[in-house]
Amino acid sequence: MATPDLLLDIFLTFVRLGLTGFGGTNLAEMERLLVGQRGWIDARTFANGFALGQLMPGPNLLAVTHYGLVIAGGWGAFAATVGFYGPTAVLSAAAALLWKRHSAHPWSLTFRNALLPFGGGVMLAGVLVLGQTSIHSWAAAALVAVSFLILSKTRLNSALVVVGVAVVGALIGL
Amino acid sequence: MTATQSTPPPLEDDPTSPVPHLPGAPTTLNLARAFVGVALAGIGGGIPAHTRRAMLRRGWLTDLQFAETFTLAQLTPGPNGVNLAAMIGARLGGKRGALASTVGVLTPGLIAMTAVTVLLLGLPGGLPPALQSALRGAACAALAVILTMVGPIVRVGWSVTAGRLPIGAAVTVLTFVALGVLRLDLLPVLAVLVGVGLVAHRPSKGSHGDT
Repeated sequence: MATPDLLLDIFLTFVRLGLTGFGGTNLAEMERLLVGQRGWIDARTFANGFALGQLMPGPNLLAVTHYGLVIAGGWGAFAATVGFYGPTAVLSAAAALLWKRHSAHPWSLTFRNALLPFGGGVMLAGVLVLGQTSIHSWAAAALVAVSFLILSKTRLNSALVVVGVAVVGALIGL
Repeated sequence: MTATQSTPPPLEDDPTSPVPHLPGAPTTLNLARAFVGVALAGIGGGIPAHTRRAMLRRGWLTDLQFAETFTLAQLTPGPNGVNLAAMIGARLGGKRGALASTVGVLTPGLIAMTAVTVLLLGLPGGLPPALQSALRGAACAALAVILTMVGPIVRVGWSVTAGRLPIGAAVTVLTFVALGVLRLDLLPVLAVLVGVGLVAHRPSKGSHGDT
């Protein structure tokens, strides 16, 4: 059963993960903490949760709710979700109000220029980590390539593509 | 002056522009409802695109106001779609607006994700093999969804230069190697590489007036 200590640990871990993802989400760090350091979930659960998140309505990192639930039940899901989304939402709202007043300040541009390339590197690292977890066969690599082509060449809803490829995965016994 | 090519347009916020300017400025409840709709439309991602459509259609934001808020949402840490909702909510409805928009954009997915996870965990003997295969397939497609987003984001950061120095490209590569290949702890990497960027792009007194 989830002890208050564990719930606090989950909450703080997800606060950290929320606040340290720039330009999206830091999947590399999330995997390092949840799977490696804490050992709360295994790599398969990590990838499964991520895939489920893509199918859910809304932001595609609802995987955090899945992880919280797997780690410590309902309260774990609550701790992970509020920890992950709460502080960054508060920070964003505050930033929106601040920026309205200070966007002309020279340091605003400095911060933007310093953060943008870092955000790009974080995205690339996340792709590498997720690729290592998800691609274990030529069939999987082909599915990634075909999905990528469909997504970039057509206007198809990405959820449809995810569901379609899931069906293909089940059929070929990926 | 730092030269930055192909970054989004500068975030010039005209302080004289009235914000909830159009008729029918949203109430807290309207904001929550609008973002629940955004979440439902955004199955599989694309929250920012759906947000833009919802805001423009209701006349709550102009295209320029959206673009500037979106760029800012990318600069704050954390998940972009939710940050964007919080920012637009704050802009249109203050603190209560921010709360309503954030809760609105999260609620449908939270309910769905909790239900699905409880169902999956309740299956005796773990996930059936067919479902495992399906999830592996979904993970491949999910990776492809991310890949379509990586290009534009990396390109913007990559093109940041300080004078003639391709510092954006260097920081992008170093961040990737440190976090993806070497799997270093994020915070020290952030401190060093963002610190380098801050120093490289620090406003020079001559070109920017007093700071």
